[in-house]
Amino acid sequence: MLRPIVRAALVAFVVLLASGASAQAPQRGGTMNIIISPEPPTLMLGINQTTPAAIVGGKIYESLLRYDFDLKPMPGLAKSWEISPDGKTYTFKLQENVKWHDGVPFTADDVVFTAKKYLVETHPRSRPIMQRAEDVIAADPHTVVFKLKEPFAPFIMAWEPSTAPIVPKHIYDGTDYRAHPANQKPIGTGPFKLAEWVRGSHIHLVRFDDYWQKGKPYLDAIYYRVLPDASARVVAMETGQAHLSAFADIETFEVPRLKALPHLDLTTKGYEYLAQMVWLDFNLRTPPMNDRRFRQAVYHAMDRNFIKDRIWFGLGKLATGPIHSSIPHYDQNVPKYSYDPKKAEALLDEMGLKRGPDGVRAKVTLDALPYGDVYKRLAEYTKQALGRVGVDVTIRTADVATWGDRVKNWDYEMTHQVLSQLGHPALGVSRLYVSSNIRKVLFSNVNGYSNPRVDELFDQAAVEVDDAKRQAMYSEIQKILVEDVPVAWILELDFPTFINKQFRNVVTSSIGVRDTFADVYMVPQK
Amino acid sequence: MHGARDFWKRFSRNKGAVVGLAILVLVLATAIFGPLLFPTSPWEMTGAPFQRPFDPEFPLGTDTLGRDVLSGIVHGARVSLLIGFVATLVAVIVGVILGALAGYYGGIIDDLLMRFTEFFQTIPSFVFAVVLVAIFTPSIASIVAAIAIVSWPAVARLVRGEFLTLRTREFVQASVVLGQPARHIIFVEILPNAVSPIIVAGSLMVATAILTESSLSFLGLGDPNLMSWGFMIGAARTVIRTAWWMSFFPGLAILLTVLALNLVGEGLNDALNPRLSREGR
Amino acid sequence: MQRLQFIAQRVLKGVVVLLGIIVLNFVLVRLAPGDPATVMAGEAGAADELFLQQLRKEFGLDKPLHEQLVVYVKNVVTLDLGFSYRQQRPVSDLLMERAPATLLLTGAAFVLSLVVGVALGVFASMLVGRWSDSLITVFALFFYATPIFWVGLMGVLLFSVTLGWLPSFGMYTVGANLKGAALAFDVSRHLVLPALTLALFHMAVYARMTRASMLEMKDQDFVRTARAKGLPESRIVRVHILRNAVLPVITIAGVKAGYLIGGSIVVETVFAWPGIGRLAFEAVLQRDYNVLLGVFFLTSFMVIAFNLITDVVYSLIDPRIELGA
Repeated sequence: MLRPIVRAALVAFVVLLASGASAQAPQRGGTMNIIISPEPPTLMLGINQTTPAAIVGGKIYESLLRYDFDLKPMPGLAKSWEISPDGKTYTFKLQENVKWHDGVPFTADDVVFTAKKYLVETHPRSRPIMQRAEDVIAADPHTVVFKLKEPFAPFIMAWEPSTAPIVPKHIYDGTDYRAHPANQKPIGTGPFKLAEWVRGSHIHLVRFDDYWQKGKPYLDAIYYRVLPDASARVVAMETGQAHLSAFADIETFEVPRLKALPHLDLTTKGYEYLAQMVWLDFNLRTPPMNDRRFRQAVYHAMDRNFIKDRIWFGLGKLATGPIHSSIPHYDQNVPKYSYDPKKAEALLDEMGLKRGPDGVRAKVTLDALPYGDVYKRLAEYTKQALGRVGVDVTIRTADVATWGDRVKNWDYEMTHQVLSQLGHPALGVSRLYVSSNIRKVLFSNVNGYSNPRVDELFDQAAVEVDDAKRQAMYSEIQKILVEDVPVAWILELDFPTFINKQFRNVVTSSIGVRDTFADVYMVPQK
Repeated sequence: MHGARDFWKRFSRNKGAVVGLAILVLVLATAIFGPLLFPTSPWEMTGAPFQRPFDPEFPLGTDTLGRDVLSGIVHGARVSLLIGFVATLVAVIVGVILGALAGYYGGIIDDLLMRFTEFFQTIPSFVFAVVLVAIFTPSIASIVAAIAIVSWPAVARLVRGEFLTLRTREFVQASVVLGQPARHIIFVEILPNAVSPIIVAGSLMVATAILTESSLSFLGLGDPNLMSWGFMIGAARTVIRTAWWMSFFPGLAILLTVLALNLVGEGLNDALNPRLSREGR
Repeated sequence: MQRLQFIAQRVLKGVVVLLGIIVLNFVLVRLAPGDPATVMAGEAGAADELFLQQLRKEFGLDKPLHEQLVVYVKNVVTLDLGFSYRQQRPVSDLLMERAPATLLLTGAAFVLSLVVGVALGVFASMLVGRWSDSLITVFALFFYATPIFWVGLMGVLLFSVTLGWLPSFGMYTVGANLKGAALAFDVSRHLVLPALTLALFHMAVYARMTRASMLEMKDQDFVRTARAKGLPESRIVRVHILRNAVLPVITIAGVKAGYLIGGSIVVETVFAWPGIGRLAFEAVLQRDYNVLLGVFFLTSFMVIAFNLITDVVYSLIDPRIELGA
């Protein structure tokens, strides 16, 4: 009889404890040591958008918006925003009393300069988005209006710090943006400013006292520690010398061990905006890859659970198609490719690719992705898995430049690729499949997939204002692509973020560790 | 026959050399017959990952993907020895030709060739090998070429030295007077007399070549389609804290093979060059 | 006068070799496949032709090769080693930052290998046939045959993982912000394993060489004469044998110092030591042309300088050296 009551009491007690803990007011003070690897080339997000630059630069520069875990916009430098019913006018109301790190006030002119001049010149990913604006106007010092040439629903997704960092007009206007000395001493609006950068060792950020959110940031300083060696990073987290690791800092096989440590929290949240997916790319211009049955056979020959569990140690989710499940318009109702070597062999037989006397049906080369051990193992696994169904794979390795050259010049047969989907299919997905983007450029439609219906659907969906209609179009796209298998989507990648329990509010948005950290605070140690 | 017995007598006086030879025969046998005993590809993920050694199914454990470490070592023997021998062969051929030309003709040819050789000797050899393999992308051919390119100068200098001395011998002078063509004198008259030190140097070079190949593989510059000992250690480097066996056993294999080659090289030196060995040059 | 001439000759030769190295490396690296602009653009997250052209122009990659070479040689002579597009900084800065760590590591390894190697060799030669001689001989044989990276890993396993005595990576304790003596102590603790790893192979070489050289000297005429004169054995060893036996070992050590720099690539990779060796490897993997050329120039320069110093020092110590050879 007593039991339910005891349980209820216990639950109440736990809830009380938990709420007590969260109700504890954030306190000023504290220094956070964070792992950074590799060392960013620069902190000026406008000219470099690599992950390390985005992580550190994201504390210094801000954009108009941030995005929650469901990719819904949240206020950043813009406190509110409005989209006209025809989908062509975007009005952003800016925060007031915002200052640049040099004390100059931030106004709508800075946003206009950034969008109209700066990003169009320096930012390859942002350029095509900003060029969709017919005009950008500062209606008053705290209002910016974008007039688009035609509706473009993903426009609202383009305002996180590494896609559209707002830069100071009074410093950059009329100068050579790339060579400006201020790039070495970045001036942003973010909660932290650069104090010192000892190359090869650390980047020291300190609190910006005039930050527009009063009382924030809570931390006094952040040290980004450059630790290029993987085992060094693990030890640093283990011993508490470093308080935060993210992305691929910790090698997958070390995750279970670190997870068990009492002073560390593990989260895989905060990567929803990037939404990285790894896939096997086929050059569709060459046989046997030009035959859909071959690609389907390869897809069936891979045990993707093995890949997930043994190579990524469970950090990921089997991909079902071209769109990552955390990205808007994802649809899971598509044909599935289970691990089925028999079916793979049947498909190959049907194509007429019979096993020769040496058991080999076809010989294919695979360019391993030069991004480290995990991808090397993925290539090794792929070679074995395809070998079992009679497809003999030769692995080619190269440095990043050579790999990039081969892929962009279409000089490959199969390769692995990994790419972010950037918050919206029109920003991060369509570029890989529309025939107008078959170009000799990396991260375009390098494998030469061409399907008029898919082209048409992607084009319409990008400018469609009606949500339901747009969803229907993206659903159809996903069905067609999954049947065609222009590439074999392997995994949606999860990244482990380890947080020392002394620190709270670390991952609060889909931008994750690239966010400003204005809300991060330290709990005093008992 | 008589010569052979003499040779063996002198060779076997060096106990270390005999031990070395025994190990070397074992390694060679592994390289030749091992893959028959382990017909499965060493890349095949046959077990669970991270299995500890001294298990009846996987005596030396498994690696990060569940591949058999023992099978990797057995198959790796072939790769290591092959690269070691072929690279040395190439280096010896190049070195002999250049050294012979320099030593035989002397004068300006000697001067030019030796400046050329010195130039290659001055470049930090391992750094150079790394660059060569990285630039021409890792494959068995680029690795062999890189090792040969950094190894030939030593042979060239050795051969040149031998030729300089032998050139002044009577039988050579006689051939010159008789008007024999230079090619004949170099390859038929002089070279056979310089073979012993070349063999000794060669056997030691195989050892160095194996070490160099393993270092390259360790740095990720091995042929991605060949299982080699250096690759195994390189792949296991980051898991050293949790899985010592993945790097320990392949390292032991390298150690034993290189040790054996060095010991045999010394034995050959004792047996072929009864005059004092020239240590350390 | 003759000595000056000798030194001048050596310096001139060094300069010629250095020029040759600059040209060789330049040609080699430019021969490589792969367009550096693609990498840069790829890292920026996207790459369109306009952006690629901007980058090529910015870094002079659109000029013909021979023009690039002329510019490069001219720049190197004025100690401008170019700009690293990957790191967005001058190459000479990068090298200067990393050089101290590598000099510390190789310097420590050099002294360690020479002192301990010679000591072991002398020791062994005095105890020929005894077990301690055999032990030293076996030690030398083993380390002569062991891959350097494996020694390092096993060192980490034993001294860091199992015993917990020494740190396994880096040059400083992360986040400690130490100063003065505490910093020096911290760095030396971090230095022990990498320096020892780098030194062991050469230690083995010098031990074997010294032992052989000592044994050879023992039978020389001047030693026999000294012995016949009734000089005490310890004095014979110290004055006559040791000096003559060790001198050639030191010369070889000077010449071989260049190999330490090669070895430092591997050792710095194993121990995450922030020096030129690791910079070289990163540069090779990332195809950072200018950094790669810079590292080559610097390491070759170091080797040539080492050889030069050895030559000069040797000519000062040993008057018997043939000048001009």
